[in-house]
Amino acid sequence: MATTAATTAATTAATTAVEADGAASRAAPGAAPRLRPRRPVQRALFPYLLVAPAVLYLLLITLYPGVYAIYQSFFVVQFTQWFPTGFDNYTLLWDDPDFWAALWNTFVIGGIALTLQAVIALTLAFFAYRDPLIRGWRIIFLMPMLFMPSAVAFLWKLAFSDGRVISDLLMGLGLVSANIDFLGNVWNARLMLIVADVWQWTPFLFIIFVAALQAQDKEIEEAARLDGARWGQIFFNISLPLIRPVIAVAVVLRGIDITTMFAKVFIMTQGTPGGATETISFFIYRMGFRTFDFGYASTAAALMLVFTIVVAQVLLKQFFRSGRV
Amino acid sequence: MARIELRNVRKQWGPLVGVSDVSLTIGDEEFLVLLGPSGCGKTTTMRMIAGLEQPTGGTVAIDGELMNDVDARDRDVAMVFQGYALYPNMTIYENIRFPLRMRKVPKAQHDGLVRRAAAMVDLGDYLDRKPAALSGGQRQRAALARAIVREPQVFLMDEPLSNLDAKLRTAMRVQLKHLQRQLKITTVYVTHDQIEAMTLADRIVIMDGGRIQQIGTPDQIYADPANTFVAGFIGSPPMNLIDGTLEAGVFTAPGIRVEGVHGGNGAMREVTLGIRPEDCHIGGPTAHLTGTVYGVEPTGEQTFVSLRTGRDLIEIKAHRGFRAGLDSTAQASFDLDHLYVFDRANGQRLR
Ligand SMILES: Nc1ncnc2c1ncn2[C@@H]1O[C@H](COP(=O)(O)OP(=O)(O)OP(=O)(O)O)[C@@H](O)[C@H]1O
Ligand SMILES: [Mg+2]
Repeated sequence: MATTAATTAATTAATTAVEADGAASRAAPGAAPRLRPRRPVQRALFPYLLVAPAVLYLLLITLYPGVYAIYQSFFVVQFTQWFPTGFDNYTLLWDDPDFWAALWNTFVIGGIALTLQAVIALTLAFFAYRDPLIRGWRIIFLMPMLFMPSAVAFLWKLAFSDGRVISDLLMGLGLVSANIDFLGNVWNARLMLIVADVWQWTPFLFIIFVAALQAQDKEIEEAARLDGARWGQIFFNISLPLIRPVIAVAVVLRGIDITTMFAKVFIMTQGTPGGATETISFFIYRMGFRTFDFGYASTAAALMLVFTIVVAQVLLKQFFRSGRV
Repeated sequence: MARIELRNVRKQWGPLVGVSDVSLTIGDEEFLVLLGPSGCGKTTTMRMIAGLEQPTGGTVAIDGELMNDVDARDRDVAMVFQGYALYPNMTIYENIRFPLRMRKVPKAQHDGLVRRAAAMVDLGDYLDRKPAALSGGQRQRAALARAIVREPQVFLMDEPLSNLDAKLRTAMRVQLKHLQRQLKITTVYVTHDQIEAMTLADRIVIMDGGRIQQIGTPDQIYADPANTFVAGFIGSPPMNLIDGTLEAGVFTAPGIRVEGVHGGNGAMREVTLGIRPEDCHIGGPTAHLTGTVYGVEPTGEQTFVSLRTGRDLIEIKAHRGFRAGLDSTAQASFDLDHLYVFDRANGQRLR
């Protein structure tokens, strides 16, 4: 039999089968959808109706406290009595050295911790992402993240100050001769917070970075390999620019979270020594719940809200612009 | 310069066999074309030469040196990927320059080399764009330029012209051939396109189902096919393959009778007779075939006629002025010097 003929016959048979199939499904009883006409107004409103519950919920739990704080920032609050003061809280805050110190502490502690965890996570991700076993390890890396923030804080408080584990370790290695009073020195105290935060959150960034690196087109790496690039060169020339938006989002999310660092400060240092570890969150807490100056605390909160939004917005825009493909 | 040797190379992914038992020597400066249907293992073979895929078995050697454990980066091959694999974050200029930067070519030469490669693939106007802003054909040319910008030991090209329009493809084909002759770089080239294979290759490797079916010069592949697969794969339209019986030099099939056929030992046997459309003649001195006209397709320079015999549809390349009414009776003769006889059981050629 001629091959051409055979192919033609096969094709014809297949076509016929498909047609028969199509006819059968079209003829199925009751398959026609009921046509329900909708007026244009209805059609326009329908999507809003669908998202309304979610929006309402979000407004209640996020926007309401924010607006409440901003409103409260224009009052002096003495328990149940509110006295309007206009912008007095803001001018007071502006002249309050404690506020500026808290802002600086937050920036220094958060900045160093964030930089460290991002760099460590990216370095680990670079070495790990080509490893096929990494998927199996993932859960182990996730563990520090799964601890409650207060648990992490207690853990490190124990290691640094109460249990002196770190001091003992350093003495055992012969690096120091006496117990270190971590709370007695500005940078040692900050170091405690930084170490705890890096330990807790590096895995989070690591997982995200590994996922981003694994998602990139493998053929591009292969092409670069054949073009003579080392793994490091591939990383800096190709991978890093490509995953930049992912890094930006992860770091900004982490940054927003780190500016509100509270549990660790509350448990590990209480702002000591001399307020060197007092973050903005702890400052707000101290104003609100130690001096009961809720209006003043709300003012700081409102300022931080604006500040965070602006910084995050600028950073994201910047990263996305330069990372554009 | 490089001589590539593949010995019993195999690639398996679990039970899935991509390439099985490929043995092949590619001479220095040779232009070798891998030709075969989709999924036959062309890309896989090429990736094993490049070092992107570790062979499951067998050895790959370049210039007599075993390459199995040599990293892809150190083999000094340049490859055009089937999916282009351009770097999306770089402009086309930077893409083409990348191999020069990585291979430590002196900076002063970069610009000249990049522009020369870009000009060769007719890409001069697009150098400042990112790959995402190019059409498929432009991307393909950028990928080609990136491969030819430097002088490696080996060129590996995986369907580098598949997305170009006919005119550009022809022009690029000539360019590539010229470039390869000039640079004298061993080249392995994958294509689906027979014309490309025939015109470019020093030798063609026909693959099917992960195995090599035949290796030979374009002339050998065309004039001396080793089995029915090669016979039916090469030529456009492909060779007519007619199942029938051969006894004492006489081939018979419904509506067909040919005397003086060589092959076999004279005993009756089931065979497949192969005859190219261009070796059949309408009318002619002896009528080997009688059938009815099933289709007439004039293309301008020639006319393709299909004749239906008892069971088969025979393609014939006829004179360009030939016309006939459908279902009219026609007779054709075969050129006896260009008959091919294959064993019907295994498809192998009987000589
Ligand atoms: N990573 C892989 N895992 C499993 N099977 C694979 C893999 N890569 C290729 N294959 C299989 O190996 C066979 C050969 O693939 P290959 O890519 O070499 O085909 P090809 O000849 O290049 O086809 P095409 O002409 O369509 O590009 C195919 O059947 C394919 O499905
Ligand atoms: Mg392929």
